[in-house]
Amino acid sequence: MIGFAAFAQKEILEIVRTWRVWVLPGILLFFALTGPIMARFTLEIIHALASEQLGNFTLPDPSYVDAYTGWIKNLSQTALFALIIVYGSIVSSERRSGTAILVLTKPVSRGSFILAKATVHSAFLAVLVVIGTAVTWGLTAVVFEEAPGPALWSAALAWLAFGILFIALMTLLSVLIAPAAGAAGAGLGAYALISIASLWTPLGRWSPAGLTTIPTSLALGEPVDAFWPVCTALLLAAALFALAAAAFQRNEL
Amino acid sequence: MTAAIRVTGLTKTYAQHRALDNVDLVVEEGSIFGFLGPNGAGKTTLLRVLTGLARSTSGVVQILGHNVTAVDDSIRARIGFLPDVPGFYDWMTAEEFLRFVGRLFAIDRRTLDERVHMLLDLAGLTDVRTTIGGFSRGMKQRLGVAQALINAPQLLLLDEPTSALDPMGRRDVLDMLTSLRGRTTVFFSTHILADVERVCDTVAILDHGRVVAQGPIDELTSRYAERKVILEVTDAAGQLGQDIAREPWAASVAVGPTGVIEITVSDMDAARRTIPALIAGRNTGLRRMEAGEMGLEEVFVSLVGGGTK
Repeated sequence: MIGFAAFAQKEILEIVRTWRVWVLPGILLFFALTGPIMARFTLEIIHALASEQLGNFTLPDPSYVDAYTGWIKNLSQTALFALIIVYGSIVSSERRSGTAILVLTKPVSRGSFILAKATVHSAFLAVLVVIGTAVTWGLTAVVFEEAPGPALWSAALAWLAFGILFIALMTLLSVLIAPAAGAAGAGLGAYALISIASLWTPLGRWSPAGLTTIPTSLALGEPVDAFWPVCTALLLAAALFALAAAAFQRNEL
Repeated sequence: MTAAIRVTGLTKTYAQHRALDNVDLVVEEGSIFGFLGPNGAGKTTLLRVLTGLARSTSGVVQILGHNVTAVDDSIRARIGFLPDVPGFYDWMTAEEFLRFVGRLFAIDRRTLDERVHMLLDLAGLTDVRTTIGGFSRGMKQRLGVAQALINAPQLLLLDEPTSALDPMGRRDVLDMLTSLRGRTTVFFSTHILADVERVCDTVAILDHGRVVAQGPIDELTSRYAERKVILEVTDAAGQLGQDIAREPWAASVAVGPTGVIEITVSDMDAARRTIPALIAGRNTGLRRMEAGEMGLEEVFVSLVGGGTK
């Protein structure tokens, strides 16, 4: 474990000094800044553009719940897809460029290599989600003059567990599948399967599959028990990281 | 002397391809060992097995007295390695990369400061402020050599360290390797024979995954010099050369413009018996017939089958 700290520090610097600092942060910040405003003015925009088509149909007045659910839906769809694509090459890019060879012939075990990436990128996602949620919360309070914290934060943190699960999955896929596009495709396939699996009530209640719908329910203020889906998601993430390390150990470079 | 590297019966196969075939190799501590072979001979594969990047199919590989499958961080901390095409983080500067590598070895800050400055100077990169993404191949190669030395290694493994360098860069790297003699065991693969002749004590020649010769350079050249005969005749050198080339013991024949014929032979006794008869058969005069001197290049060419008959 001699080189763990140095390699983790490299991962942080790499985020700050390469395209990684723009993609996920840019997407999340965009949604955090525009979500509450869009939620507040969507009704006016619809009326301005299509009032004649609406006829007698009336839409409910917007509320902070629309801003909250908008943020969570953006996390669950666009942000998650971006995460899957970005992390499709988290390990394979180092193998392809030859940097893994230089690092792994130093006192850095392959387990440390994977663990450093897991730690830094999970923490990176956590920071992004916390900042994005805080911005959404603050802007919602300004725009709607009402922004209860527990619904938004519980929803965002439940989704964070899901996001970390997908970082772990993409780390494993990036070890197993060299082309980044192949790993990303497998990640998107896994997401589709999890979404379908969540339709079966026991899986939705007791497994990470429930996290495809639970964050939105939490944002709506519905009484949902997220304990087991969150716990199993984090346990499964740890198992996937361990599996990635074991698979990487067997790889020839 | 103890062995820094000891390889016994090493075989490495990829599907149906045998990249290394029952390789035996001993590299003594403190020596500068040249590992020669044509492209595709298996040099890089052996280095990948030595560094633990690839697993052997069979055989035993020991590095600094430890079986390579059991090499841990404490052993890797004593090894420096430069791959044939080193990969760098393009967004770092040369200094940042050396400091990063130094931290992987947990080198204390003061020592690291000294080594970084010394190695940047050695690599000729002291005043370079651009990131590595903007480096030429030669600059990357020099940085690669520098990073392999950051931990003052006991064993230095270099894969084609001079292949991308200009003559000045090559000279600097070879001088640096020479300066390590006796303190660090240097094992480097190359196909540049002049580099090996200049700095190495001992060489091994690899061909199609097999070690075909191993030993001190002087010993190898004298051993294989016994296989070379130089003839000088008064006339009909071309026809005599053709006669000799038809003999089963003639591995290669080269006819010079002044009647000099260089012959590499596989059976010296047969050559000694047959050559006079061939000369007499052509009714030509013999000016001289002697054992030739062989350089490492000729030894290499004769061993890896590059000779022309």
